[in-house]
Amino acid sequence: MQERANEMIKIFIDEKPVDAEEGTTVLKAAERAGIHIPHLCYHPAFPPEGSCRMCLVEIEGFPKLELSCSTVVKEEMKISTKSERVVEARKAVLEFLLAEHPLDCPICDKAGDCKLQDYYYEYGLFESQFKETKEKREKKLKIGKSLILDQERCILCTRCVRFLKEVTKTQDLGVFHRGVHSSVNIYEGTSVENNYSGNLAEICPVGAITDEDFRFQTRSWFLKEGESICPLCSRGCNILIEYHPGFSRFELPNRVYRIKARENPEVNGFWICDRGRYGYSYLDEGRADKIILNKIEGENVLTWENISEYLGEKINSMSSAKKTSGIALILHTWLSNEELFLLHKIFKKDLKVEKIFFADLPEGEADGFLLTSEPSPNRRGAQEIGFDIKAVDLSTLADGTDFLLAFGPFLSGLFSPKYLKGALSKIKRKVLFSSYSHELNSLFDVVIPVALIAEKEGSLTNVEGIVQGFQPALEPPGESLPEWKVLCDLGKELGMDSKFYSEFPSPETILSEMGEKIPFFKKKND
Amino acid sequence: MIKALGYFIEIIRGGLITTRHFVVNLFYHILKVLGIKTKRKGSVTIQYPEQKKEIASRHRSLHRLMTRPDGKPRCVACMLCVTVCPSECIYVEAAEDPDPEIQKYPAKFIIDLGRCCFCGFCVEACPEDAIRMDTGNVEFAQYSQQDLIYDLDKLIG
Ligand code: SF4
Ligand code: SF4
Ligand code: SF4
Ligand code: SF4
Ligand code: FES
Repeated sequence: MQERANEMIKIFIDEKPVDAEEGTTVLKAAERAGIHIPHLCYHPAFPPEGSCRMCLVEIEGFPKLELSCSTVVKEEMKISTKSERVVEARKAVLEFLLAEHPLDCPICDKAGDCKLQDYYYEYGLFESQFKETKEKREKKLKIGKSLILDQERCILCTRCVRFLKEVTKTQDLGVFHRGVHSSVNIYEGTSVENNYSGNLAEICPVGAITDEDFRFQTRSWFLKEGESICPLCSRGCNILIEYHPGFSRFELPNRVYRIKARENPEVNGFWICDRGRYGYSYLDEGRADKIILNKIEGENVLTWENISEYLGEKINSMSSAKKTSGIALILHTWLSNEELFLLHKIFKKDLKVEKIFFADLPEGEADGFLLTSEPSPNRRGAQEIGFDIKAVDLSTLADGTDFLLAFGPFLSGLFSPKYLKGALSKIKRKVLFSSYSHELNSLFDVVIPVALIAEKEGSLTNVEGIVQGFQPALEPPGESLPEWKVLCDLGKELGMDSKFYSEFPSPETILSEMGEKIPFFKKKND
Repeated sequence: MIKALGYFIEIIRGGLITTRHFVVNLFYHILKVLGIKTKRKGSVTIQYPEQKKEIASRHRSLHRLMTRPDGKPRCVACMLCVTVCPSECIYVEAAEDPDPEIQKYPAKFIIDLGRCCFCGFCVEACPEDAIRMDTGNVEFAQYSQQDLIYDLDKLIG
C-alpha cells in the first residue's frame, strides 16, 4: 500500500512553497502540507474518480479550474485553493449537489459526520434556488446484512461501487440509469453479504448508506472516540471505539455504540472486518465489576490492594517442590505481551510451574483478507515470549494440584459444566481473573474482575509479528483493573529478584525490559 | 463594634426605602382619586390565585409536543433539543417507524421539569416545530419530584 519514494519537486499552494513527490496529485500534495482541499468522491484507497467536482482548484496557466484529485503536480506549479473563483465554484458545486438532496439531516444517522453537511457550513451557506419538487427515490432499501441505502441522499460519488469492485471484488452495487435518474442500486438478486460490508457505511461520505446496527441509536455528536486494537482475531486491526459518555440525569444501557476502522497501512489499511465492527457487545454485556469471594478462610476481605498479598501468601506457604507440581495456570491469549511476560517470568522461570495451559476460543476460519483463523489477539506474542501453547487437559490439571490460577472466561466453553465442576472440585484453592460475571465464577474461591484490552495499556503481537501498543480507550467498570498491576505486585510479594519487579511502573517499561531479554521484542521496539 | 453599627445603618436604610415606596405610591393613588392622569401608575397587589394576570403572548410555559394530522408525534427524535438543553433534562429514545417517509419517531420522550430552567432553547432548536412552550400552563407544581418527570403521553396530552 505504500508508495515508492519519488523525487521531490517544489510547488506553490496558496503562495506557500511546498515539497511534493513527483507524480503525486495536487490534492495529496496539499494534504501532506496540511492544507485541506474539500473532496467527496476521492478516497485515498482508490484511484481518483473525478465525479463530485468538489475539489476544484485554480492553477496558474490553466484556463479552467482543475480537479485537484486527479491533476498531477508539476515543477513550479502555482495552485490556489482559496481564490475567489475557487470559492464561487465550490459554492456552485454544493448547490448542484444539494438541489436534489432531501435534507433529511434530523433523521439521518450521518448527520454530524456528513461531509456534505460540513462543507455546506464551511463553503456553502447559500439560500436554495431550487423551486421544483425533488425526485422521489427509494428511501429505505436493505442492501446487505446490515446496510440501508437511501437513494435520495446519494451524491453518486461511487466510492461504494469502487470498494466492492476493488477491495472485496464482489461487485454487488452499481450505478443504474442516466442523468437525473441515475442512482446506486444493488444488482438484482444479490445482497452485500461479504465480511467487509460495514466499511461501506463508513466510506459513504453522506448518509446514503447507513448502518442498521447504528440506526437511530444515538446522534454521532454525543459520541467520544478512543483508539484501540481489535482483539477479535490475531490481525490486530486498528480501531476507533465510539462510546457515549452518558447524560447526567438519564442512565444509558451501554457505553459503546460503534466501532470504526483506524488507518494503519501496515496492518489493516483503511478497513476492518464485520466481526470486529459489529462484535463489540463483549465490551458491555455481562461484565463483572466487583471482586467475588465465594469461599475464603478467616475474616479476610480482599480488595485490589491486598489481592497480591493474598496470592503471595498462599504461594509462599508451599514448599519449593510443591510449587512446581502443586500450582497450575490456565492462561489465554487476550493477555498483553507485558502480562504474558510477567506470568512467564514468575511462574515458568522462577517457580518452574509445569502445568501451564491455554484456554482460548476454538479456531475459526480465515477469510483470506484481514480476518485470521485465531480468534484472539496475542497468540504470536505468547509463543515469542516462550510459552508452549497447550490446550487444557483437565485430568492433568487437577492431578495433585493445590492452587489454580485461571485467567479469562473461555474455560467454560471448552468443557461440559459437570465435568469441569468435578475436575475443579479436587483443587483446594482456585482464583479466577475474569472480566465477566459468568456461571464459571461459582467454581472459584475468588474471582477478580479485570479490564479488557480496550480498557488498559499494553501491547499485542499480531499474526505477522507486528508489535502494536495500545492505550485505554474506555474506563474499566467498577473495581476492574488490569492484570499486569497484580502481577507486578505479586512478583514483589514473592520476594523474587525484588529490584527486577519494582522497576516496572508501567507496561511501557515492561516492554523495554522485554526487549532486553527477548530479541524478538527488541527489534520491533526501536 | 463598627460592624454592629453598619448593621443598624442598613436597617435604617431599608426602612427608608420602604417608606419611600409607600409615600410615592400613596401620592400616585391620591392623584388618581383626584382624577389627575399621570404616566406612572401606583403599584397594586394582585390577589393571586383568586385573581390572575394575563400572560404575555411570547411567554414560555409548560411544554407540549405537537402531533401530525393522524395523531402521531411530529417529533422525529433528532435529539437537537437534547443537545441544546442547558439543564440536560430531556431524554429521547428513537425508534423505527414503518412509514419510509417518517422513518424515525420518539419511542420515549422525557422532560424532567424539576430541572428545566424554562429557557426555551429546545423550542428554538427543533427543526420540526414539534415542541412548543405555549400551553399557558404555569401552575404545575407538584409535591414529589417524580411527578415533574413528563413522558410522551403527558407531553402530547
Ligand atoms: S446525507 Fe448529510 S446532508 Fe444529507 S441528510 Fe444526511 S446529514 Fe443531511
Ligand atoms: S451510496 Fe454513498 S458511497 Fe455510494 S455513490 Fe452514493 S454517496 Fe457515494
Ligand atoms: S426550556 Fe430549556 S431547560 Fe427546559 S427543557 Fe427546554 S431547553 Fe431544557
Ligand atoms: S428537536 Fe424537535 S424533532 Fe428533534 S427530538 Fe426535540 S422535539 Fe423532537
Ligand atoms: S474529489 Fe475530485 S472530483 Fe470528487
